[in-house]
Formats: sequence, C-alpha cells, structure tokens
Amino acid sequence: MRTYVYLMSLALFAVTALAAAQSSHSKLEGMWSDPPATAVGNFCFFSCTDAGIERLNKLLDDPANDSRPVTQLIQEAKKYEREYLHDRLTPAALKPYPLDPLKDPGYVYCEPWGLARQMFAPHQFELRQQGKDRVELRYGEWAARRTVYTDGRKIPANLKPSQMGYSVGRWDGETLVIETAGVASNIAEWPFAADAATQHSDQLRTVERYTRSADGKNLMLTATLEDPWSLKEPVVLKKIWNWAPDQKIAPYDSCERPAETKKGGKP
Amino acid sequence: MRVFRLWPLVIAMLLLCATALYSHHSFSAVYDGTKQTTVSGVVTKFRFVNPHAMMYLDATDASGAVTMWVVEFDGRLNLSNYGWTETSIKSGEKVKVTGNPAHNEPNRLFFNKLVHADGTELIRGGSRLSAIEEDRRQRARQRDQQKP
Repeated sequence: MRTYVYLMSLALFAVTALAAAQSSHSKLEGMWSDPPATAVGNFCFFSCTDAGIERLNKLLDDPANDSRPVTQLIQEAKKYEREYLHDRLTPAALKPYPLDPLKDPGYVYCEPWGLARQMFAPHQFELRQQGKDRVELRYGEWAARRTVYTDGRKIPANLKPSQMGYSVGRWDGETLVIETAGVASNIAEWPFAADAATQHSDQLRTVERYTRSADGKNLMLTATLEDPWSLKEPVVLKKIWNWAPDQKIAPYDSCERPAETKKGGKP
Repeated sequence: MRVFRLWPLVIAMLLLCATALYSHHSFSAVYDGTKQTTVSGVVTKFRFVNPHAMMYLDATDASGAVTMWVVEFDGRLNLSNYGWTETSIKSGEKVKVTGNPAHNEPNRLFFNKLVHADGTELIRGGSRLSAIEEDRRQRARQRDQQKP
C-alpha cells in the first residue's frame, strides 16, 4: 500500500512538473521581432547595458532635454555606454578597436554572423521547444538557426570552435537559461554596431537568460559574456523584442556585396 | 503658425539623428551623418537585397551631363518592417532623394528620404521614429504631472 501511495505521489509530481515545464515553454515559444517603439526599446535595438539605460533615463527625465530630438538623447547615452564598455576591454581587444567596418565579412562578403552578434540580431527571433530534449532558435538575420540541448547534457570539453558554438539549456522557472561555449573567434559587436566593434576569442562563454515581460508583450534577454582575451570582466548586455506572431522568417536568399565602398573620415 | 515654420527644421533634425540608429554596418566610416545632400534623377536600378538595399540613379545636370549616383539603404529586414517591397522604387521613375553623403565618394548617399514624382514620400525609420517621439512626449507629460 505504501509503495502504491509512493508511486502515485511520484507520478503526480512528474505530471505537475511536466505541466509546469510546458507552461514555461509556452510562455516563451513563438515569434518575436524588433524592439518596442520606445526610446529605451530603440536604445536596445541591438543590445544595451543597465548603465546605458540609466544614462538614457536621466536624459529623458531632465526637462531641459525636452526640446532635443529623442534620437539625439539615444546617441548621447550610446556614447556613454560605448565608453563604459570600452573601459572593460583588455589591451588585446583594444588593439583592433574600433574594427575597420569595411573588413566586416558580413557587410562586405555576405558572411553570416557569429554567435556574439547573432544573439542580438534585431529582427525576427523564433523560439520553439522541440520535444523534451532541445530548443530551436531561428533568426531573421541570415535566417540563422541554433540548437540548444535541454536534455541535461554538459558542454563537451575540447570542442572544435564553430560559428554558433555549442549550447545547452535549462528552464529556471519561466526563464530559459542557455550556456554556450566553443564559439570561434569573430567580431564582437558590442556595444553597438560595427563602428565600435572589436574581436572576441574562442574562449568566449555566454549565458543567455530569456524571460517574458509581465504583460506578455515582450521577450527580454539578459546575456552575460565572458572572454578573458577581450574582456577584463564579464559584461552583461540586454535586449528586448516585441511579441510578433504574424512575422515570418524569409530565406536570406538575396545577399549582394554592396557596390564598392571606400572608407573615409573617422568613425 | 510659428510652429509650422519650424517643422522642416524638426524633420531635418530627426533625419540627421536617425542616422546609425538602425544601421548595423559601417555607417560612420563611410558616410557623414552631419551632412545632407539632395539629388534628383531617374532610377536605373533598385536592389531590394541583404545586407543593405541599393539604388542607382542617373542625375542629369543643366548641360545634359549624366552622373550616376549610388544610394545605400537600411537592410531589407528593416525596410520590410516599414512596409517596403522590391517594387517600392521602380526602375525608370523620377525621384528626389536626400541622404548623408559619403566621405570619400562624391556620388554616394545613405538614404534618409525619397520623394516620388507624385509627391509621395519614403522616409527612413517610417512611422517608428514618430512613435518613439510620441512615447517620449508621453513620458515627459507623466513626469510633469507627477511634480508636486
């Protein structure tokens, strides 16, 4: 009898846990795209930091700035954020900084981005749980795909670095947590756009935490990036998308190298 | 009345400041975000492609000399969000385009605004920029209302 009660309790627990897990999945699953049309949303069009958001909020809350275009305030806060992140770059990362944007293979050679840029791609982002053992992520930019293993496995040691690395994930309540390593050295487009990019090494490790806002309208990413080669300390970047069930990811089938472009002036 | 006279200035400021907000590539290395140039001509080609859309334009001056201009746009995904398609600009149509000039190439612009022959306009950022300004105004109103 005691065994029966024990087994029934175990089964009930398993069903409850599964239902809770599915509920967590369903809260994040679906199509997201672009940031909200707000000052902070646009500030985080690619990615942003708490320090940058705080600076932007101060500018927006100062009545003396009411007559200035909001885009000017965003640029001013971005400049501050760029300096904030610049201070966290190692001497090795400062050597190629700012990277010559005309050496950006994405722009010049239509070469898809690596993970460090792709995870902050601003447009469509689709998240789908596939069975119990993996989550598939798809992006509008480059029609890129990532697989995140959620079957409890660990990141293998001695990975051969690849463009997107190797990702494992778990559900922490209603938050999807993804850890990634084995990312090949590539352009690190932090803090914002190629004008302030540098490089990261294949020692890059990232932890992404995805949550849905309380009103259900937004998906929020908090990404912690560690790379002893390029960063003096871990850096936390944030991003936000709108719920966009009508958006579709089209094939990235018509990439053309832009007409010859010459660099000039100082970025 | 005075407010209406200020609108062109406000729009110009918005266009200048819209620069690099959406571009994920080499904007300031190639283009001068502090300047604006306007060119009229006939579209010879519009390529609605990744990573950035491109347009080629023949501009004819008073002496009849034709100069080819290259106009670079945001990425196709951005433009699609504004409702653009590959037919938003057609080969053979006359347009007036305003953009940021390139530092080192005399006949190259980064798109800010295009006026079709019928007067309709395409503006960088579309309605998104207006929505952001409205959000900011609303925020300022709320702030003012909370003042003791």
